[in-house]
Formats: sequence, structure tokens, C-alpha cells
Amino acid sequence: METTISLGPSNTIAEIRLKSGEACTTEAGAMIAMSPDLSIETTTHKKGKKGLGKAFKRLFAGESFFMNHYTAAKDGNIFVAPTLSGDIFEHQLSGDKIVIQSSSFLACDHEVDLDTGWQGFQSIFSGESLFWLEAKGHGKVLVSAFGSIYCIEVQDEYIVDTGHIVAFEETLKFSLSKAGSSWLHSIAGGEGIVCRFIGQGKVWCQSHNPSNFGYALRPHLRPRK
Amino acid sequence: MKYEIKGGRSFSYIEAQLNPKESLITESGAMASMDTGLNLRSRMNGGFFAGLLIKFFGKESFFVNTFTNESSKPQSIMITKNTPGQIACIQLNNEDLFIQPGAFIAATAGITFKLRWAGFASFFAKEGLFRLKISGSGLVWVGAFGAIVEREIDGSYLVDTGHLLSYHQGIRLKLQLAGGLFSSFFGGEGFVLNLKGKGKITLQTRSLDGLAGWLNPRF
Repeated sequence: METTISLGPSNTIAEIRLKSGEACTTEAGAMIAMSPDLSIETTTHKKGKKGLGKAFKRLFAGESFFMNHYTAAKDGNIFVAPTLSGDIFEHQLSGDKIVIQSSSFLACDHEVDLDTGWQGFQSIFSGESLFWLEAKGHGKVLVSAFGSIYCIEVQDEYIVDTGHIVAFEETLKFSLSKAGSSWLHSIAGGEGIVCRFIGQGKVWCQSHNPSNFGYALRPHLRPRK
Repeated sequence: MKYEIKGGRSFSYIEAQLNPKESLITESGAMASMDTGLNLRSRMNGGFFAGLLIKFFGKESFFVNTFTNESSKPQSIMITKNTPGQIACIQLNNEDLFIQPGAFIAATAGITFKLRWAGFASFFAKEGLFRLKISGSGLVWVGAFGAIVEREIDGSYLVDTGHLLSYHQGIRLKLQLAGGLFSSFFGGEGFVLNLKGKGKITLQTRSLDGLAGWLNPRF
């Protein structure tokens, strides 16, 4: 599986090229265009496997119940993109594990193992969904975001505001914290609860917070009748 | 302080690096992520009553935040805003800048904020009852929904409501009809702002009201 990410950071698209016999998994609804020699299989888990447990967990994570698997009969390609405007990044897994904010998953190599994980009770207040997607194994993972994506190599500690986390390496742990030394100032200053990452590893952040954009737009919208 | 505007025109964000003891003032909630050596103090935007007025009439936040590097090493912070769009940096040399509601993102320490009465005309043009006056020397960042266009004006210049971001001292705003009665209301422009004076102005190429106006009938 070869990939090309282009047109970023505002309206990014990813091209996945599959060789004959290769397969990839995408989020339901992410496909924009593809060669005719790719066959689609929709399952609740891995290609050719059923597993309702994981599908239900994914539903809780705000993901779709089903996933699409594309297998190439001949060499072919498929274009995938998320719904919202924004960037896409790629991470090559080699036995490690990354944790992805669940609505940010876009596509992965078929060899990658996806599961929905529980990151502890702090997730309730993290501004992200309660469950996170965990990707491990070997292969590429494509992750999308609202806005630009930047990667921070955390050395010791780093603070990310809730709503800006896209993905992080499993070597990092996060806890809920305040921005600065005072809870009062953090809350009054509109930052409220922030996530403090501890350890060594990468965290990918999105430059914009989709819910904040929603709140900015809301006063301009007419109430639904 | 070093800074860079990243993310292109459509999703701009600011990466700023503060040296020890340096501070940065930001709009409430503008921090996306930061190093742990930075401390946040929030204070009321121009005092309690001014803060309340700004909140309810100026469409800005009640609080502004000051991030100060309290460590002994340079610390980085990412600053963003709610809507997608471009961010521009404006340099002030002991002068005043007026910013339209919602456009302020950040400023270097030493910049002061004051709330000024903008008049009922401004309110009817959906530009807010008050306007933010920024004074001093330093850098100010303003954010747009869409891209930012800078213009130097001398004399009179018309700008559609919802598209003005900032204007320098020496420029006065007046609200007027875009043309005659008929073309103003049927030509889709309605009211426009008449900017009079000499100085620099910044405009945004899209407006949130415009997007909402397009979306509303589709719900």
C-alpha cells in the first residue's frame, strides 16, 4: 500500500495505491473515487471476519458501525477524504501503537489491527469522545483532522487544549489538568480543562476545534422549526 | 519573542516562542497547545464593567488571557481561533488600532485595550455597539473568516458590513446605504460602511453571516 497526501492543509485528499492482492480498510463513507478493479467488502470488523462486540464499541466511540475493506484484484487506487475541511497525516506503524481520536480515523493498511479503547475516566472531560480508536501492528494509518495538523515530540510534559487532540503514541499518558498554576484563571480564561501529556512520544494536534467553530456559527443560524 | 503564522491561509494558527519572563496576551480560549513552563493568568477585559459590556455588546470575551514564561528556557505556544481562515500580524508603533468584534486573537505585552462606543449605526450594521481600541507599541494578531486583504486608503472607501476587520487611527466609520434605496435592498448589499480618512485597513474575504445566510434556508 502506497499513499500520496495532497492539497493540504485545507482540503486534503489521500490517494491509496494497492498492488494486486493488497487490501486496505477505510472509514465508512470516506471513499471519493476508485478504480473498478477494487472489490468492496463491508464488515463489522476485519475483512472476512465478523465481530459484533468491536462494532458496538465503535458505535459508542462515535464511529460508524461498519467498515469498508477494499481488495485489489489488479493494481489500482482509491481516493479517500474526510467530511470536514482539514489536513490528513500518515503514520507508519512498526509494532507500535497509536491512539486516535475516534472521528479522525480515515484509512489503514489491512494488516493494522484496530480496536476501540477506553482511556480512563478522564476522557469524559477531555472534550473528545469517550472511547478512542487504537491502531497497532504493522502498516500505514491515515488520520484526518479539522484544520492543520502539527506534530509535537513530547519530551517530558506538554499541554493540549481539549478538542485539539488528534492522535498520540501510546508511550504517552494523559491526565486532565489546568492551563497554568490556577484553576480559577484556567476556567475564567476559557481554557477550562486541558490535557497534560506525560512521557516521551508524539502527539498530533489539530489547529482548529470543530465544536468551537460550531458555537461561533450557531448564533448566526436560525432555529429549526 | 519569535513567531510564525502556519497552516496556510485557510487554517492559520500562530506558533509563538516566548523567552523567559516574556508574555503574550490572547483572546480567551485561543490556546490550542503549549509547553508546561507557561503560566496562564486571566483578567477582565478592561475592568469589570468594561468587560461585561465587551462580552454582551462587543462580541468579544469577558476575559483576556496573559501567558507568561515562568521557566528559564524558551517556551512555545500555539494560538488559534474558532473559525477557519487567515491570521495577519499588524505592527503598532505608538498608535491606535480599532478592531471589529470577534477579530482579535493576540497581542504582545505592552499593548492596552480600551472599549469605545461605536454608535447605533454600527450596531444596526451588525458590527457591534462597541469597538475595541488597541494602543501602544508591539504586535497585534487579527483573524478572519476567509482570507485577509490589506488596503491603504486615503479619502473615502466603502466596505460591506461583516467584512471589515481592523482600521488604523485617523479613520472614521459611517454607515450608509450601498446605493439608492432600490439597489441597496434588492442588490443584496444593504448597508455598507463608509471609511473616511487616511491609513491602513484589513478586510476579510468571507463573512460568517454570509455562510449562515446561505445555510439557513437549507436546514
